[in-house]
Amino acid sequence: MGEAALVVENAVINITGFCKSYKKKLAVNKVDLSVQRGEIYGLIGPDGSGKSSLMKAIAGVLSFEKGSLEVLGVNVVSESSAEKIKGRLGFMPQGLGLNLYGDLSVEENIDFFAQLRQVSREQLAERKEKLLTMTRLEGFRSRLMKNLSGGMKQKLGLVCTLIHQPELVILDEPTTGVDPVSRRDFWSILAELLREQGITALVSTAYMDEAARFHRLSLMYNGQILAAGEPDAIRQQAKGCLIELSAEPQFEALNRLKIHYPQIEATGPIIRVFADNVPSSKCVNTITGLLTGVEIKTLRALDPELEDAFIALLRQGPLAGPTKKDNSVPRFDKPLPDNKSIAIEAKQLTKDFDQFRSVDHINFTVKQGEIFGLLGANGAGKTTAIKMLTGILPPSEGEGQVAGANMSGAAQTIKERIGYMSQAFSLYLDLTVMENIRLFASIYGVDRKILKQRIAWVIQIAGLTGVTGQLAGSLPMGIRQRLALGCALIHQPGVLFLDEPTSGVDPVGRRHFWNILVHLARVEQVAILVTTHYMTEAGHCDHLVLMYAGRVIADDTPADMIQALQNEAGQLLDITTDNPLQALALLEKENFKGVSLFGKHIHLLALDIKSVEKRIRELLVKQSIRLIDITPHAPTLEDVFVYRVLALENKVPA
Amino acid sequence: MNFNRVWAVTYKEWREIFRDRLFFAMAFVLPIGIFLAVGFGISFDVEKINFAVLDQDNTATSRNFLHRLMDSRYFDYKGHVQSERELDPLLADSDIRFAIIIPPRFEEQLLSGQTTSVQSLIDGVFPYRAEVAKGYISAIIANFNEQSLVTHSVSKFGITKQQAMAQVSPVRLESRYLYNQALRSQWSISSGFMMLVLMVAPPFLTALGVVREKENGSIYNIYASTISRSEFILGKLLPYLLISCLNIIILWWLVMTIFGTPFKGHPFFYYLASVIYVICTTGVGLVVSLLVRTQVAAVMLTIVISFIPAMLYSGLLVPIESMGTETQIESHLFPTLYFLRVTWGSFLKGLGWAELWFDVAALVFYAILLWVIGFLNFHKRPSE
Repeated sequence: MGEAALVVENAVINITGFCKSYKKKLAVNKVDLSVQRGEIYGLIGPDGSGKSSLMKAIAGVLSFEKGSLEVLGVNVVSESSAEKIKGRLGFMPQGLGLNLYGDLSVEENIDFFAQLRQVSREQLAERKEKLLTMTRLEGFRSRLMKNLSGGMKQKLGLVCTLIHQPELVILDEPTTGVDPVSRRDFWSILAELLREQGITALVSTAYMDEAARFHRLSLMYNGQILAAGEPDAIRQQAKGCLIELSAEPQFEALNRLKIHYPQIEATGPIIRVFADNVPSSKCVNTITGLLTGVEIKTLRALDPELEDAFIALLRQGPLAGPTKKDNSVPRFDKPLPDNKSIAIEAKQLTKDFDQFRSVDHINFTVKQGEIFGLLGANGAGKTTAIKMLTGILPPSEGEGQVAGANMSGAAQTIKERIGYMSQAFSLYLDLTVMENIRLFASIYGVDRKILKQRIAWVIQIAGLTGVTGQLAGSLPMGIRQRLALGCALIHQPGVLFLDEPTSGVDPVGRRHFWNILVHLARVEQVAILVTTHYMTEAGHCDHLVLMYAGRVIADDTPADMIQALQNEAGQLLDITTDNPLQALALLEKENFKGVSLFGKHIHLLALDIKSVEKRIRELLVKQSIRLIDITPHAPTLEDVFVYRVLALENKVPA
Repeated sequence: MNFNRVWAVTYKEWREIFRDRLFFAMAFVLPIGIFLAVGFGISFDVEKINFAVLDQDNTATSRNFLHRLMDSRYFDYKGHVQSERELDPLLADSDIRFAIIIPPRFEEQLLSGQTTSVQSLIDGVFPYRAEVAKGYISAIIANFNEQSLVTHSVSKFGITKQQAMAQVSPVRLESRYLYNQALRSQWSISSGFMMLVLMVAPPFLTALGVVREKENGSIYNIYASTISRSEFILGKLLPYLLISCLNIIILWWLVMTIFGTPFKGHPFFYYLASVIYVICTTGVGLVVSLLVRTQVAAVMLTIVISFIPAMLYSGLLVPIESMGTETQIESHLFPTLYFLRVTWGSFLKGLGWAELWFDVAALVFYAILLWVIGFLNFHKRPSE
């Protein structure tokens, strides 16, 4: 045993040729993976990519068919061999707080896990104290788990998983469904805990932008590993370059470039193009050539993000083939709304539930043809606001106009003029695609004379050709989501409400979806109100409203929001050192703004970059930490969100 | 076996049950609710059967005849009608369950020594009740005939009434009912329903308790920890067992107070047998929880596999002896039959260990069997 452990060196997990299938469906196919001691290893991929199956098997709670799996030096082949590793690992399954017990308090939950794990009374008292302090849950000891916020549940889950000080923790999507502020908080706590206790972690996520949190990661898709390595290395695996440009008119530019570049998207006024296998200088020339007659306002080459790389790798790999899309997107058969008119207007809109004010005097307007994003943490009041505007919920105070009708008096008219797509995709999973579309057509009372033509239009615009006979339940999430969108569009509404429309959908699916939305807004002048958790997605919107505790705390275009943050708090400094954890502790102690750890990098906000950089250099030298790199970046929308919310949270005593 | 871990699970489960109002209600209100609803609802004493009368004769004799029906405690007289046509809607709307039609010249024919007939229209939708009603009517007519004969003999042969009686029916039946002297079906039914409720409620709770963890994923805490299978099963099921042991006493008390059923057996023996039965039915819940993944499915399956044997194959409604051979064999496959024997034996017959040891042994066998099946099929590393 001791010898065997020496042979595998530092590998905590060693997997070769792993296969797992459910009935006849292959969930994980020939996966190789190795995780070193002390690493934070990431598994990134959309729903159904096989992450959970793989993690469960590693945790010894799921059997598998083929391959070898070695965890903590034990070859896991049977239920009894799996038992050998369980004392040394912690596993947190997927689902926000679902593995905790809602009717037990925070402390009772922790005590239960400790008893289950045979933690001695003294050790428990000591560890509990420390973990509760670190996670700032000490004030909530006696609160029932079910009454905690999403972010707190997640932290409690982490505490319970770590209470027996495992050598390895396996966390399945710990940040899904948690707002950006809590997510950042969770990551920094995790990093600190792992550092202190030398724990190895295997963590999965569906958010591409969390990749930078990992030392190494694997991109999973369809049960296979698409790429593995350090985040930067994966970014470079996709061969090609990324060009960002803005041009007028945008849609014309988009249409011309689409024919040549399969990987293209519009985020707000910006068009992002990923060109395969060409250096950026050459690509810039080609694009300029293609856009003669269109006014190019800005044009620059950038390093591709991980999500760009992921999509490129997918296109170059498993999804290779004729993906060129039909350029003739079908048009509305209805007259278009006037693009100057106001589609949605909320005036002092308020909703009280018993003692609790869910929405507090919010104001905003959405014009026809605008993509409008409503951002906020769970419980910020987004869904309640949407429900009031769509006439599902009567407001306690204030009023609203939607699609030219007053919300309070004409709820029925509003429902006829809008499309609504909910978080859970309100589809009938036991009906086929066609049956679903027909059902929605009859619910919305589509005229029989144009029914056939309208169904054909929905199928084409939502890209459902070829799957019309399949059961909705058998479709992958991405297609199911487009079907839900198609169903919401069956009556060609002038206003579209989308409540968390992309949760659980893979990046390729998300892009396709957004391409449809951009088309609807730009060409058909549809007003789109969308709520989302994905900060990268918020960039697609023309206008954003940030909600916090029922109130609007920011209302601007994404670019102006970022600009405002830059004016107020400065640029983002990306610091790379040889000892990130120690550097982090140091910088936090020195009270720099917005310090947080991203894998091996540290981010912080600085107004006067020169002087801050100088100070940091001096500090690091003193502690003999080697500075590898320090570069300023523009802050992202996530930075904006976290900054604004934290500013308010610090004002309000908890 | 590490009892600290068993206790951790038990204690957690116990608090969850008591803090979740819905679950708590299910633990205590549900069994008592089923018991009272079914116990009062099902009664096999057919009494107060509604009926109406069409008297086409309308003489002293016909009225005398009808009074025998009207005064009976089994029947509830609803009134006279004037024509046969009026009876149809009454029967169709279930206002009456049967009608008696006295033909014209009823008295005249009787007095002239001819036979006559009385017609009865009986609602046959519920055959058991129809049969009982017919039986009562026949008995009343037989009694009427007997009395007529006695009266006739007295006047014709100048003998005393006693002599005439002896002539008319020389053999009389003297029956005495043992164990349940008044033949109150509620005595048997209410005590029998202890068997039913203790068959349904414990598996219901147990299956929901286990499947609830499976459904929301907290079962992974168990899978991923070092607790052994038997520790988990024992710890998880203990609270449900305790609740059921409490429910035995509550139900027992209800049977004796509300339904007034006497208990003639040995309390300690019966309680012990009941606890074994509850261990057995909790095991049913454990097995159900292994077969299904959602709480809805657990509820459905529990109802199917607990209600049916308890209702149909236990001998509660139909005596085992009157079942077909295959049904009899099936009946012996379910533990309900054995516990019903123990229950009736204890409540009504005052039997004890000496007479009922076999049934108790059968229950012990089932308890062990079900828990072993549960243990062997619970895996901490399932395939999905």
